Amino acid sequence: MTLSIEASGDIADAAVGSVPTEPKAKPSAKRTARIASAVTVTGLLLLWIVSAHFKLVSPVFLPSPAAVLWKFYSVATNGFVDATLWQHLLASLLRVFAALLFALLVAVPAGIAIGVSAVGRGIFDPIIEFIRPIPPLAYLPLVIIWFGIGEPSKILVIAIAMLAPIAISTAAGVKGASLDRINAARALGATRLQVIRHVILPSALPNILTGLRIALGAGWSTLVAAELVAATRGLGFMIQSAAQFLVTDVVIMGIFVIAGVAFILEIGIRRLERLLVPWAGKE
Amino acid sequence: MSFPVFGVPTPPTAGKATDAAVQPVDPMAHLVLDHVSVHYEGQTQPAVVQASISVKSGDFVVLVGRSGCGKTTLLNTAAGLVTPTGGAVTVDGRNITSPGADRAVVFQNDALFPWLSVKDNVGFALKLRGVPQQERDAAATRLLERVKLDGIGGKAIWELSGGMRQRVGLARALAAEPDFLLMDEPLGALDALTRERMQTLLLDIWAANSVGVLMVTHGIDEALLLATRIVVLAPGPGRIVRQMEAGFGRRYVGGEPVRSIKADPAFNRARAELEDSIFEGETA
Ligand SMILES: Nc1ncnc2c1ncn2[C@@H]1O[C@H](COP(=O)(O)OP(=O)(O)OP(=O)(O)O)[C@@H](O)[C@H]1O
Ligand SMILES: [Mg+2]
Repeated sequence: MTLSIEASGDIADAAVGSVPTEPKAKPSAKRTARIASAVTVTGLLLLWIVSAHFKLVSPVFLPSPAAVLWKFYSVATNGFVDATLWQHLLASLLRVFAALLFALLVAVPAGIAIGVSAVGRGIFDPIIEFIRPIPPLAYLPLVIIWFGIGEPSKILVIAIAMLAPIAISTAAGVKGASLDRINAARALGATRLQVIRHVILPSALPNILTGLRIALGAGWSTLVAAELVAATRGLGFMIQSAAQFLVTDVVIMGIFVIAGVAFILEIGIRRLERLLVPWAGKE
Repeated sequence: MSFPVFGVPTPPTAGKATDAAVQPVDPMAHLVLDHVSVHYEGQTQPAVVQASISVKSGDFVVLVGRSGCGKTTLLNTAAGLVTPTGGAVTVDGRNITSPGADRAVVFQNDALFPWLSVKDNVGFALKLRGVPQQERDAAATRLLERVKLDGIGGKAIWELSGGMRQRVGLARALAAEPDFLLMDEPLGALDALTRERMQTLLLDIWAANSVGVLMVTHGIDEALLLATRIVVLAPGPGRIVRQMEAGFGRRYVGGEPVRSIKADPAFNRARAELEDSIFEGETA
């Protein structure tokens, strides 16, 4: 129950995004926030540069920004633990997207079932509510016992983390579908299945995309845990291997790459939202 | 049952243009609400009691009455969207329990699908029947012409004005080739000028399509201008207090300008009488 509220809050935010709600105070407040962010980031960066330069912290623990940047270049070209940065990145991206595909195939129908039928709600609500709060590291061992240490287990661990956000957002979107539109379709001769396919699904699309965005975030943050197990490639694997040898610059570089990719994915999905649901917020 | 007849009833066959002449191809369809009662769950009072309405092809039946007297309930019952708790709804004697494409509904807030273009909205009923895209587009083009929206098929719904959206909603309903057109305050959201133009458009379409219309409105002039029969409802609980025949719409279809119809003293007399029956029993 609690997350349904959270999810709808997030959806409300997403819907409000393109509509100016607080016309007056907003622009200056936004600017203030931007300035504060810029100052913080610059400050942290300066602190890092200064402490690295004067060796306030041992370089083993805190390498300089220049060293990290250099590592980025060297791992990108020469590689680390038998693979270049791009190969690690590709391995991780493939895992996350395979997991996303799997999660979408399972969670969207489940979300629709929760939204359209009491039986569906009765079946899937408890499962989703059970999975939702469990940290991936907790079910990782069980997944390994059941499915071994191969690629499927890694993908499954990430996918499980993605199920709840997608299902909950989808269900919220389904419940929010306009009754008038559903009735209009029925009065034009739509069967129950046609109503779901042609009215409910498109109505829920904005929410499904929001769920997808949250899920990608969740999946991306589960990555390192998933790659703990018998991986030979992947950003999480790269970071862990580096940590074992105390190659801190690679660890930090890896963290920045993960953050950067997450940021790019976020922007990509917002683009996708604008492309797929251009009507959102225009009604 | 003898209803007072307003206006000069001109037979609908006297169309003002050849293509507007009503020659029903289908045998007459007949929608009947037979002593319909609706008691919503959890309500102390029924929304509608013992309401009987008959709509035949070529009828234009308008429901009027104060807010909350059950107009929407009755219309939705006729559509099959609400199941009556008493009485029955039949089409040509068959019992109605669910919505169907023979009774297309036009809603007050158009209820268009924003994820579809204008032409795909109009062709929606055909898509449900598996009609191929090309035929759907041709039909949509034709229907958009009929509601005077030529050439906007490729637009998005949110680019349209309220009046345009209502006309797209009308075209979408017509695409199903329904025997009956059920409309709940279809012009309620429009400004006065657009509303007047839409009223004549509704009459044109009604005359050209041999459909039976059941429509809810709050506009007394609108009811008088459009209806062949006006059904007056009273609240608490919702019930029919009067049904009266009218013929002003037929006069428009017969070629008389709206202005001259409204200038007719008979129109004013009818309006006074209709207002009286709507507010009958009310001490104000
Ligand atoms: N789904 C529902 N559940 C419970 N009660 C309802 C429902 N729909 C309508 N009612 C009640 O039934 C009565 C009739 O409502 P209805 O919407 O049919 O009136 P109306 O004549 O269309 O009013 P308006 O002119 O305001 O649209 C009202 O008292 C209303 O509160
Ligand atoms: Mg109503």
